[in-house]
Amino acid sequence: MRVRLFAAAAVVLTLAVMASTASARTYRSGSAAASKITVWLQVDAQSGWPNLVAAANQEFESKHPGVNVDVQYQTWGDHLSKFDATLAGGNTPDVIEMGNTEMTKYMAANAFANLTSQKSSFPNSKNWLKGLAASGVYNGKTYGVPYYAGSRVVTYRSDLFAKAHAKVPTSLAQFTATAKKIGKQNNKKGFSPVYIAGTDWYIAMGFVYDYGGQIAKLKNGKWVGGLESKKAMAGLAAYKRFFNAASRASKTGVENRPQPYDVYSQGKAASIVGPGWFSCCVGKKYTKTTKQFVMPSHVKGQGMPGFLGGSDLAVPNGSNDKSLAADWIRIFTSTASERGLQAKGNIPNATNLLGKSVNERAAQRSWFVPTAKNWVNVENGNVLRTMLARILTGKASIKDAASFADSNIELTLNQ
Amino acid sequence: MTSSEIPGGTAYAAEAAIRPRRRRPFTFARLLRASAPYLLILPVVAVIAAILGYPLYYLARLSFQKYGLFELIAHHGTSVGWANYSSVLHDHVFWQVLVRTIVFTIANVALTIGIGTLLALLLTKVSSVVRILLTAGLVLAWSMPPVVAVQVWVWMTNTENGVLNYALTNLHVGDYAQHDWYASSFSQLSLTTSLVVWGAIPFVVVTVYAGLSQVSHELVEAAEIDGARAWRVFKDVTFPIVKPIFLILTSLSIIWDFGVFTQPFLLIDQTRINASNELMGIYLYEEGYVKTDFGRGAAISILMLLIVSVLSIFYVRKMVRTGDEAA
Repeated sequence: MRVRLFAAAAVVLTLAVMASTASARTYRSGSAAASKITVWLQVDAQSGWPNLVAAANQEFESKHPGVNVDVQYQTWGDHLSKFDATLAGGNTPDVIEMGNTEMTKYMAANAFANLTSQKSSFPNSKNWLKGLAASGVYNGKTYGVPYYAGSRVVTYRSDLFAKAHAKVPTSLAQFTATAKKIGKQNNKKGFSPVYIAGTDWYIAMGFVYDYGGQIAKLKNGKWVGGLESKKAMAGLAAYKRFFNAASRASKTGVENRPQPYDVYSQGKAASIVGPGWFSCCVGKKYTKTTKQFVMPSHVKGQGMPGFLGGSDLAVPNGSNDKSLAADWIRIFTSTASERGLQAKGNIPNATNLLGKSVNERAAQRSWFVPTAKNWVNVENGNVLRTMLARILTGKASIKDAASFADSNIELTLNQ
Repeated sequence: MTSSEIPGGTAYAAEAAIRPRRRRPFTFARLLRASAPYLLILPVVAVIAAILGYPLYYLARLSFQKYGLFELIAHHGTSVGWANYSSVLHDHVFWQVLVRTIVFTIANVALTIGIGTLLALLLTKVSSVVRILLTAGLVLAWSMPPVVAVQVWVWMTNTENGVLNYALTNLHVGDYAQHDWYASSFSQLSLTTSLVVWGAIPFVVVTVYAGLSQVSHELVEAAEIDGARAWRVFKDVTFPIVKPIFLILTSLSIIWDFGVFTQPFLLIDQTRINASNELMGIYLYEEGYVKTDFGRGAAISILMLLIVSVLSIFYVRKMVRTGDEAA
């Protein structure tokens, strides 16, 4: 009896061991019929502008009777591994939204259809935003159509600024002084004059570029890390000073946990730095007093370079009908559609559509990640976040942390 | 325990010894009878071979190939021999992750089995109303999907608004206002441990309790009359009887905790994962999927399979041996 129980246990174990490690992904749905195109958009569209998506689908379906559009919403965290799975299974979507920092790796691997010959058929393609359009070009060929961009601005409570007799700051030094003053007037525990999560590298790298540094540059065909340079380290030092003066957020914290606008809406911050659409969620209590300005540079009168985030739309090579897919993109990036995106606080994809909003002014000085095919691995490997946490907590000197990050970046980018 | 101890078994053995040995003729019926167990197990083997065998074969083949994004799109990898294995085994991060994962596994399994057993013993002592309430609570905890549980943990430990910081501060345990529970790797993995153990305890309690209910009262009473204390009764009477259950539970826990992915990945969050807090499952995901190096990922997978097998075999052998000694 006992022996049999042990034998049974052994069998159960063997199976469990095998099952635990051999869970290969093998989902392969039937290839889509030509009467349907599948579009992968990020959830931002689902929560922010579902009406624009619906309008584009309606227009597309009336132009191509009998063809349905199946929009599937994805999240930033896992859409690439899901996309990889479809590449393996041969059921790729017909249109996919890609973050501008994610494009290079996939263009280099020949994942997308070359749209160069039909580039002029896309609306406003002559005036596409240079920085954004560049993220969809590899070896001179166009693979990505700019969708929209977003810059980073300061969202602030004008009542608290007025109480401190502070105007919109025109230099970093002025902003620091204002922050200190507001901090003194509101010395509740945990109150941040400027709430910034410690490892928010999108903001921290703005300081690096503001002081003339850069993350990495291409030299004789090889990537060289730039964080250990004098200028970049001056930027990192400025970030540390500003953080210590203005933010009570966790030094090792991440910018989406908690969301800065949640901290703000609970009255725990006088200002937050982030995408322009942060103004959406500042809470009823502060809606009226909330305003925005461009993050000031250390040079008086200039804006600090902000990270130009954005999305491109691409047609995977495995699409069943690339011309239908391209046509959907054409409709979705029409002038009317881009105007709709602009109304939601985004930056439209072409210079002729640009307005004068804070967001659009902030985009005038911007920086972008190195366009290396392995950049996304640096991002997901949290190399910059680790460096920032070590600098802010004092676990490493700026020089040591930067040099460690540089060697990590070089190792990854030159793989 | 051997068959000679079972009364029926003894009788059978004696009978077999008395009967003269004689070669039975080979017949079709005998062949059929002899192969019956194999025929019965055949469907299971076939299903397992189809479901697990092919992916395993594919995984092993993949581990000897260079298979990145480019190869994925081309649907064709290039053979590189043992290069993936040697690159993994020469990666110092792999060894750090291995040690960390083993320590993590030991801590989690010990806590799960320890607390689970104590709760199961408690269940045998309490009134039936309390037992039903406790069991219902355990089943509720068990039925909560890990993803939901992670979200609850994230809310409770939130730096700015978490109830944990609020409660600890107001109970004057210390100043926990804005305490960041995700500031260090140790803290991150401790939180993960609390979540994993919390989720795993109900299964242990229910199973051990089922086993305990099989222990006859006479044996326990007899031991108590002989003057045995509670611990002695558990060690020498109860435990040997329910040992097979502990064997299965511990081994399954080792397998689950060694390869745990959902809880640490979601709780620590992609934005905080780095070489200093990776567990084996996450290391595999980062190297294979995030860096799109499926060949290397497959090699890590195979190594994980071997490590878990070795751990389990070691444990099973030890348990079987002590089981035999006890008998």
